Amino acid sequence: MKQSHSNTHPLFISLSVLLFLSLTGCWSSHEIEEQSLGIGLAFDKAKQSSIEKKLNEQGGAYSKRNLITTTYQFITPQVASSTTKQSGPQQKSYVNVSETGDSMHQMVRELSLRSEQPVTAHHMKVVVIGENLARSYKLEQLLDQNLRESELRPSCLVLISKGRASNTLETKKAGEIPAFRLAGIVENAYRTTRILPPMSHIKVESKIKSGSSFLMQKVLSADGQVKFAGAAVIDGKTHKMTGTLNEEELEGVTWITGKGKGGVVKSFDKETGQPIVYEIETMKSSIIPHVKRDSISFDVNIESVGRLSENWVVSAGTFKNEFLKNAEKSSEEEVKRLVGNVLEKMQKEYKADVAGFGNRLRIEHPKVWNKVKKDWDQRFSEAPINYDVKLTINDYGTTGGSKK
Amino acid sequence: MMMKEWLSKIGNKGKDPDKDKQAPASQDTTCPFTDNLHFNLECLKQEIGHNWDVHFREFNLGRTGIRSVIIFVDGLSDKDLIDKHIMPSLMVDFSAEYKQNLPYLKGSISKEFIKNEVLSISEIEAVRSIKELASKVLTGSTALLIDGSLDALLLGTAKHKTRAIEEPVSEALVRGPRVGFTESLSDNTSFLRCSGEIENLSLVKFQVGKRSKKDLVVAYIKDIVDPELVQEVENRIKKIDIDSVPESGYVEQLIEDNYLSPFPQVQNTERPDRVVAALMEGRVAILLDGTPFVLIVPVTLSMMLQSPEDYYERWIPGTFIRMLRYLAAILALFTPSLYIAFISFHSGLIPTKLAISIIGTRSGVPFPALIEALFMEIAIEILREAGLRLPKPIGPAMGIVGGLIIGEAAVQAGIVSPVLVIVVALTAISSFSIPHYSIGITLRMLRFPAMICAATFGLYGVILFFLLMTSHLVKLKSFGVPYLSPAVPYRLSEWKDLMVRMPLMMMKRRPKMLHTKNPIRKG
Repeated sequence: MKQSHSNTHPLFISLSVLLFLSLTGCWSSHEIEEQSLGIGLAFDKAKQSSIEKKLNEQGGAYSKRNLITTTYQFITPQVASSTTKQSGPQQKSYVNVSETGDSMHQMVRELSLRSEQPVTAHHMKVVVIGENLARSYKLEQLLDQNLRESELRPSCLVLISKGRASNTLETKKAGEIPAFRLAGIVENAYRTTRILPPMSHIKVESKIKSGSSFLMQKVLSADGQVKFAGAAVIDGKTHKMTGTLNEEELEGVTWITGKGKGGVVKSFDKETGQPIVYEIETMKSSIIPHVKRDSISFDVNIESVGRLSENWVVSAGTFKNEFLKNAEKSSEEEVKRLVGNVLEKMQKEYKADVAGFGNRLRIEHPKVWNKVKKDWDQRFSEAPINYDVKLTINDYGTTGGSKK
Repeated sequence: MMMKEWLSKIGNKGKDPDKDKQAPASQDTTCPFTDNLHFNLECLKQEIGHNWDVHFREFNLGRTGIRSVIIFVDGLSDKDLIDKHIMPSLMVDFSAEYKQNLPYLKGSISKEFIKNEVLSISEIEAVRSIKELASKVLTGSTALLIDGSLDALLLGTAKHKTRAIEEPVSEALVRGPRVGFTESLSDNTSFLRCSGEIENLSLVKFQVGKRSKKDLVVAYIKDIVDPELVQEVENRIKKIDIDSVPESGYVEQLIEDNYLSPFPQVQNTERPDRVVAALMEGRVAILLDGTPFVLIVPVTLSMMLQSPEDYYERWIPGTFIRMLRYLAAILALFTPSLYIAFISFHSGLIPTKLAISIIGTRSGVPFPALIEALFMEIAIEILREAGLRLPKPIGPAMGIVGGLIIGEAAVQAGIVSPVLVIVVALTAISSFSIPHYSIGITLRMLRFPAMICAATFGLYGVILFFLLMTSHLVKLKSFGVPYLSPAVPYRLSEWKDLMVRMPLMMMKRRPKMLHTKNPIRKG
C-alpha cells in the first residue's frame, strides 16, 4: 500500500499542474492577426478630418478640448494580406486615421471604437511632431504618454516636420510605407553630413532631463514626398522649439561634433573657379575647453581623412602633390566657413549650445561646470571659440591628369 | 515476500536441487531417474511427450540389446549432428568395440564410459532430474537415456537459427563498421570478443523470465569498471520478476531508475562498436538473447546526442556536427511553442517586416495559433507513424502525399499559415537528426506540453516549462550517475567531450563520473 502511494504522488502533482494551467485560461493572449501594427504617429495642431466632423455631427463626441490632432499610421491585417499576396500591391499598403482631442492616450482608445483590430505600439517606428505644435508645447508634455508606457519602444525615432506632420505620413507611391521611409532615411547618415544622428525617444528624454539645448532632425513634405532638411533647435529651458538650422548649418554642427560617418565637401578651385569635391572617409573632432579664472574659451580641432571624389579642374594633374595640397586647402576653407557660420548662429542668434560644448566642459572641469550650468546657454554665447580644420586627401581615385 | 522467494529461486537456479525437493508441489515432476528405462520414459512422456515436435527415438545400444532412447526437438536440435555422429557412435562403433565384453556390459554402462569413450561431441552433461532434462531438451539439447543407468546424458546439439550480419537499421553511419548485433546472444557476445583482444572482458550470464527463460549477459571490463556499478546492475537484474522478457526494452524498463520520467535512462544500441566504446569508458552492457538491441548503463543526456561518427571523423567536423545536433534538439523541443508564444502573445518581438508578412498570411486563418499548431503537429506525427507501418514500396509515395499535399492544401484552404508549415517541417527534421530514436521521440513528445504552456502563458510559460524540465533532469540519475553530468554537477575537465569533441590527443582520461578503477585512457 505504502509503495503504491508514493508512486501516485508525482502523478497527482502533474495532474494538478495541468488543472492549474487550464484554470488560468490564456492570460493576455492576443493573436497577432487580431491587431493592427501601429508604425507611425504624427502630432499636429488641431484640425478635424472630415470623417471626424461627420461623426461628431451624429453625436460621436466626448468632453474634450480640440487641441491636438494625432494621426496614426498602421497596418491592418487586411492591408497586410493584400500586400503579401502574389498579385502585388494595388492600393495603399497602410492606413492613416486621425483623432482630435487633448489627451494622447484617450485618443488612441477612441480608435478602438472605430476598428475591430486595436492598434499596438510595439512596432512604432517614428513619431513626427509638427513645427507649430513643437513651438507651443513642451516636448515632454507631447511625448509623456509615449515615454511613460512600456509598449512603445524607447528606440522609436522623433522628428520635427516643417508643415503639418501628418503630411509626412502620406505617399503616392504604391507599396511604399511612409513610416518606414522616414525611419529608413535616418540610416543614410553614412552618405551625408546633413543627417543628425538618430534622435530616439530615450535620447530626447535624456536631453530634456539634463536641461541642455539640443537639435532634432527636421523633415519637409510636399506632394507625398519627403526630404530631411536641417534641424530644429530645442531650447534647454523651455523644451520648446525656438529656431531652425538649415542644411549647411546642420553640416557645420556635424563637423563640430565629429559624429559624421560620410559625406562630401564641395569647394571651388581658386584659379579656375571649378568645383572640387572632397569625400569624407573618417572624421574626428575634439573640443577642448580652457578655463582661466572666470573666462571660458574653447578650441575645436577638426581632422578628417578622405579622398578626392570629383574634380572639374581639367588642366590640373591630380597626381601632383601641389594640386592635392591646394584642394585640401580649399576644402578646409569650406569646412571653416560652415563651422564659423553655424557657431555665429548658435552664439548670436539662438544663444543655445546644441553642439555639446557644455558636455566637454562638464567632463573636463566639473567644478566650473557646476557653477555655470544654470545659465550655460548665456555663458556659451559669450565664450570665444577657436577652430582649426585639417583635411588630408589620401586617395585621388582611379584617374589622373593628362600626359604632357 | 513473494519477491524475495523468487529472487532466491532465480539466483540459485540449477545449483540447489535440495530446495526444489523441499517444495512439496514440485516433488512429482523433479523425480530423479530410476534404473528402469521404461519408467523414466513414461515420466518424460508425461512431462513433454504431448508436444508433436518432441521426438523419441528408441534403439538398441550397439548389438548389446540394451535399450536406449534419444530425445530431441525437431528444428531446435542439429539433426545432422545426431545422424552423423551420435547415432553411428552408439549403434555401430559401440558394438564393434565392445562385443567381447557383452555379458558383463549390462548394468555397468556408466555415463563416464559413454562420455569418455563413445560419444565424440564437445558438450556432454549428466543430469539427474527429469524436470531439468525436459527443460533442456526443449531448448535444443538431445537427451540420451540408457536402460539401467541412473542418470541421463544431455548432448549439446542446440542449433539456433541465425540471420546474416547486417548493417544496423536504426543507427546507420557514413563512416564506421557495417556490423550490427543480431538476435543470437552467442553471436552478439562474439562480436564483443572479436573487436580486438579486450583484456579482462567479463561476460556474466543470468537468466530472466519466470516462464520463458532467457539468457542475459552482463558485460564489463573487469579492471576498468567500478565494482559497485556492476553490483548494482546485477542486483537490479536479479530483481526482475516477470513472466517473459521478449525484448531488451522490458529489461530497460524494469531496471531504470525512474519509470515516470519521459527521458530514457538506459541507452539501447545495435552497434557493437558503440558498446565496446562504452565498455572502455567503464560502463556496463546488458545483452539479451533474442534481440539485437544491447543496453548500456549508466547514460547521460549528452551521450544520447552523440554518434560514434563524432569520434571517427576528425574533431573539427565532429564538433560542428555535434553542436548542430544540440541545436536540433532545442529546435525539436521548442520551435512550435516559440511560434505560438510569438504569435499569440509577443507580436512586438517579431521584426516589423516579418510581423507584417505573418499577419498577412495569417489573416484568413480561423484558429488561434495553438489549435493551428496542434493540428499540424498531430498530422505530422500520424504521418510519421503511418510511414513506419506502410509497406516499403508505398512509403515514399505516401510521404509525398502527406508532406506536400496536406501541407500545401492546408495552406491553400486557409486552415494553417505557411509560416507554421515551415515551423512544423523544421521540428520534424530536427527531431529526426537526433541519433537516438528513443531520445528523439521523447523530445517530440515533450513539445506538446511545451506548446500548451506557451499557449497559456506565452514566453513565460515556455520558460516555466524549460525550468520544470531541467529541474527534473538535474534530479534524474542513471545508475547513480547524474543525468546531466558533466554539466551538472559541473566538471569542466569533462566538457572536452560534451558540447564539443576535442582532439583525441586531449582526451586522456575516462569520464570521472563513472568512478573507474583505471582512469587513464591514453598515455
